Amino acid sequence: MKSFFRMTYPYILWIAVFIVAPMVMILLYALTRTGNSTLTFQFTLENFARFFSDATFMRVLLTSLRIALLTTVFCLLIGYPAAFFISRLSERRQTMMVLLLTLPMWINMLLKTYAWRGILLNFDLASEFKVFIGMVYDFLPYMIIQIHTSIAKMDGNLLTAAYDLGANKWKTFLKVILPLSVPGIISGITLVFLPAVSSFVIPKLLGGGDYVLIGNLIEIYFLTAGDWNFGSAISLIMALIIIASMWLTRKLDRNAQEE
Amino acid sequence: MKKLLSVLLVLCLLAPAAVLADDVLNVYNWGEYIDKQVLTNFQKEYGVKVNYSLFSSNEEMYTKLLSNASYDVIIPSDYMIERLIKENKLQPLDKGIVTDLDSLVDGVKNLPYDPDNTYSAPYLWQSVGILYDSTKIDPAVVEEKGWDIFLDSEYSGHAYMYDSERDAFMVAFKALGYSANTENADEIEAAYNWLREMDKAIHPSYVTDEVIDAMINGEKWLALVYSGDAAYIISENEDMAYCAPKQGTNVAVDAMVIPANASNPELANKFIAYILQPENSAMISEEVGYASPNADVLAELSGPGGAYEGNSAYVPRTGYEKDELFHDNETLKKQLSELWIKVKLHE
Repeated sequence: MKSFFRMTYPYILWIAVFIVAPMVMILLYALTRTGNSTLTFQFTLENFARFFSDATFMRVLLTSLRIALLTTVFCLLIGYPAAFFISRLSERRQTMMVLLLTLPMWINMLLKTYAWRGILLNFDLASEFKVFIGMVYDFLPYMIIQIHTSIAKMDGNLLTAAYDLGANKWKTFLKVILPLSVPGIISGITLVFLPAVSSFVIPKLLGGGDYVLIGNLIEIYFLTAGDWNFGSAISLIMALIIIASMWLTRKLDRNAQEE
Repeated sequence: MKKLLSVLLVLCLLAPAAVLADDVLNVYNWGEYIDKQVLTNFQKEYGVKVNYSLFSSNEEMYTKLLSNASYDVIIPSDYMIERLIKENKLQPLDKGIVTDLDSLVDGVKNLPYDPDNTYSAPYLWQSVGILYDSTKIDPAVVEEKGWDIFLDSEYSGHAYMYDSERDAFMVAFKALGYSANTENADEIEAAYNWLREMDKAIHPSYVTDEVIDAMINGEKWLALVYSGDAAYIISENEDMAYCAPKQGTNVAVDAMVIPANASNPELANKFIAYILQPENSAMISEEVGYASPNADVLAELSGPGGAYEGNSAYVPRTGYEKDELFHDNETLKKQLSELWIKVKLHE
């Protein structure tokens, strides 16, 4: 047992260097302002106050949450029937369909987004709608695969039992299949919502310069404005939102399993 | 056998690095800003390897430099060179190798940020102006209105605005008759309101490099562009014309510098001297459309039979008192970027 534990050292080192250390730096930057040459660090909460007191930033935050939510809902609406349909196929066909779904994921997201840009260029659509299309396209496979896995691993005898007990197809779906696929739905939602809310390339390429999401805001403050303190504060707010939504989905998941 | 194979594979991986390790030059430049043939020729002539990396903004380059990345030649813009000199991040050019700086155009050498060109040698230069479709808009109107054409709701939905806070604010400052480097709070406020009015009047698309292809295809009538991009667009679409407004504009010089921590300064100096040679400068300038700092090259390319003959955008205006270089000012830049986000979000 002890010797196996040693094998986790590289992983712990990895986490320390590439996850914990940068997070500590972001925290440090977010809680300070750039000082003068004698006093290099001054602790302050003004970066946060500035973010929450400014209507523009709040609007950007709301837009980010709105589009992430819309994307998640749409992915679920399209993804669930698709996953259900796939799970009804023969085993060989299921493998085939899952392969077809994952195929586009082998292509770099940047390339796919550029392709969408070329396609959408010819249509006069609102920026937000273009970004929405790009996001749904990019994140849909994650949703389908998660739900499909949870439906496919379901014991077929449960369905037979439900029919034996007199449930029709619709009732079987509502009372047996749907509740059992909740864990899949929840991990699908997590896998779509989190990248969507922090998405940065898709709005940048498809939305144009006047469509700013929170990810773009962070980029502007780090690269253009050169204000790392405020940029870090926004990143931290972003991270907190992500942690909160993960906590929420996990809680939902636990409640669902208890039922 | 397996062991031997893996040793061989590791050697194969290391081999290219070992062969090339003797003389490597790390060059860091803007994207789409060179004729690749010039690099190939340099590598052949000097028997060295050039590692060529790209950045898309001065700030991105600066951030990378702060992280102690080592480059031998970097090609930032004037105000960024000003900052790098102030912060002792550059080393002087070797004037024994980098000669003939005297033969360069007056507008690009001995500029205030580097009075004797101790640290920097001009690469290409440009101004900012209005590119317009001359079949849709009368040139006389553009000349007369200058920057104020961006407030004319007649062009609503037909304009591109370059998505860069300093260039956009420069337009507003100049339209209002202020300096592009002003720190006066009232003037900044006035410029902010000017830009908001612009946003409401013409509903521009905020773009960066996409503007090049879009204007070649004639998608809109009006755009704020760099003269070098304008020269290229005009050479592809003859309906387009360029105007540097009378209210004054920004003139910008991108120059080659050697960072203090360069690992191969001697080769860096040779590279700079090589780029300054008229034939190489001409190749680069012809390829990208930005103006060469060399007077003879400028005359040749814009003269009879040159690639940019009769092109109104190729040679930037010089010696006009209302034209200005940007100065390095981080506080101003921060302030403008925040206001710029608000302009773009239609606040």
